[in-house]
Amino acid sequence: MKKILVLLMLFVFISSSAFAFKWPWAKKDEGTLTITGSTTVLPIAQKCAEVYMDKHSDANISVRGGGSSVGIAALLDGTVQIADASRSIKTKELKAAREKGINPVGNVVAKDGIAVVVHPSNGISEITIPQIEAIYTGEISNWKDLGGVPGPIVVISRDNSSGTYEVFNALALGGGKVREDAVVLASNNAVAQTVSQTPSSIGYVGLGYLSDAVKALKVGGVMPSNATVNAGSYKLARPLYMYTNGNPKGLAKQYLDFIWSAEGQSIVEDLGFVPLR
Amino acid sequence: MAKVKYLVAFVLMLVIGANMLFASDTQIQMTVWNRYTYVKSGDEVTEDQFSLARGYLRLNHNFSSAIFGRFNVDFFSDEDGLDGAGLKIKYAYLDFKKLIPIPDAVFTAGLMKKYFGTIYDWSYITVEKDPSDLYKVCSSTDYGLGISGLIPGGLGEYALALYNGEGYKKTGSDVNKYPAFTGNVRVTPLPGITVGGSAIIANKVGTSEPYDKMTAYAGVGRFVFGPIDIWAEYLMKNYTEESKTSCETKSAGFMVMPILKLFPNFELVFRYDQWDPNTDQDNDKKNMWIAGLNYYCASNVILQLNYENISYESSKSEDTKKIYAQLNWTFKTPKF
Repeated sequence: MKKILVLLMLFVFISSSAFAFKWPWAKKDEGTLTITGSTTVLPIAQKCAEVYMDKHSDANISVRGGGSSVGIAALLDGTVQIADASRSIKTKELKAAREKGINPVGNVVAKDGIAVVVHPSNGISEITIPQIEAIYTGEISNWKDLGGVPGPIVVISRDNSSGTYEVFNALALGGGKVREDAVVLASNNAVAQTVSQTPSSIGYVGLGYLSDAVKALKVGGVMPSNATVNAGSYKLARPLYMYTNGNPKGLAKQYLDFIWSAEGQSIVEDLGFVPLR
Repeated sequence: MAKVKYLVAFVLMLVIGANMLFASDTQIQMTVWNRYTYVKSGDEVTEDQFSLARGYLRLNHNFSSAIFGRFNVDFFSDEDGLDGAGLKIKYAYLDFKKLIPIPDAVFTAGLMKKYFGTIYDWSYITVEKDPSDLYKVCSSTDYGLGISGLIPGGLGEYALALYNGEGYKKTGSDVNKYPAFTGNVRVTPLPGITVGGSAIIANKVGTSEPYDKMTAYAGVGRFVFGPIDIWAEYLMKNYTEESKTSCETKSAGFMVMPILKLFPNFELVFRYDQWDPNTDQDNDKKNMWIAGLNYYCASNVILQLNYENISYESSKSEDTKKIYAQLNWTFKTPKF
């Protein structure tokens, strides 16, 4: 019986820290918005939050990355109001959400193309989707097989919690497995930077991360650009989402309305993404 | 003969699946249930001990994007065992994700989950077992083959499986030659409202005193609204015993389990079970209620405290009170 008393006291002591938290169903602070998720959508979310907060001093918008899967998981846990995602929600995630009483609504805020990039010194300027698949699954491992200067291809990919990886995997690799010796990086920035410093490398980034430091390849004869993504001729393209529980309300709605406005879409374009209009 | 056909089909599927094998990744996971148990039956204390109720060592391996394997051993110290511990194989199966041309459908083979009632997604919100497990309606895992999948739009899930029928603890001569079939469906028509049903049909169960026929059914409901999460399950099991001609036994019971999330990492749990082992017999019902607190100390560390009260209609059985305190913790390696 002494054991029980000791255990009970221990439980009360440890769990007492729980009372430091707010009631989860209490009315949320209407001036606060928490956003987590895709590193691709992160620059849009961050820049739009900064501009919005400049205009509305009473608003407090916190934006973090982590990847699309992390964002959606946080929305399901009720710890964020908006989940950024560079892919559509999976059936498994949707089922889990609905079981928990959450109704994820995907609000498209922009479009993006995934550009296949190499070092600017690379002589290759065009690639096909089957060639991309062959490189990333290990079937082709030398530039000479693509008509380039002989040398091993350093394959750079994203971690599998990334929406960019999921979309690239579905659109370019047909769900195939990325070769084991691929260098796996955690963000678009890291991929762009590594490719810019590695002459024999190949990687993939969102259009917003293109710069003179890397060379974007034509895919199937089409150059990635706003025009080709909007026209649907560039095949490695996707919508970018901000998921909310139900239709957006309160500050989340005001923030999304701002992103959808002419000013918000201008920010989207300035960041290198494809605006919705 | 039936099993031979299924085995041939399984081997053929493996051969096809083997063509998808290439690069891989592995993850190791450990889950431990450290438990304190105090049991008082009538006026007598029958248990007062600390134990390792369970310890899962799990290996997950992706052979390819289409083939996933899991091997899981279960360690425990609360049953009699050599050197203070016992060991069971809990899972040993392969998932084939692209064998069936249906989106989100998976073919599974090996020692796998039993898709029945709440048993396959029971997450130990109470320390006590899932009702199907507790009242011996069915085991949590068994050797077999199955197809499971998701209904488009996140509307639910389904499963069809063929098992030995005796459960994962029975092997060799304890397994008869008659397979057991299981079907399961869960639907979430509206966010927060889930309903489902499961069925098991077995021509014979057991080898020492086999039943002629065993059928079991489960109905499941779940309602989630804000901080309130209510689970409900109704169970039925019918069987006839070979040794007693035309002797049919019907068992039935239900569970209701409301959970109240008080804070992001603190929840209150209440559970009420009623189980009638023979519906044709009077004064044999068993009632159980549980009150519990769960504190999520950190990601993957849960401290649980449960008070359990079991009462019997029959005066032959002593009412039982149990106190459980449990630390449930999990860690896993990155994929390598």
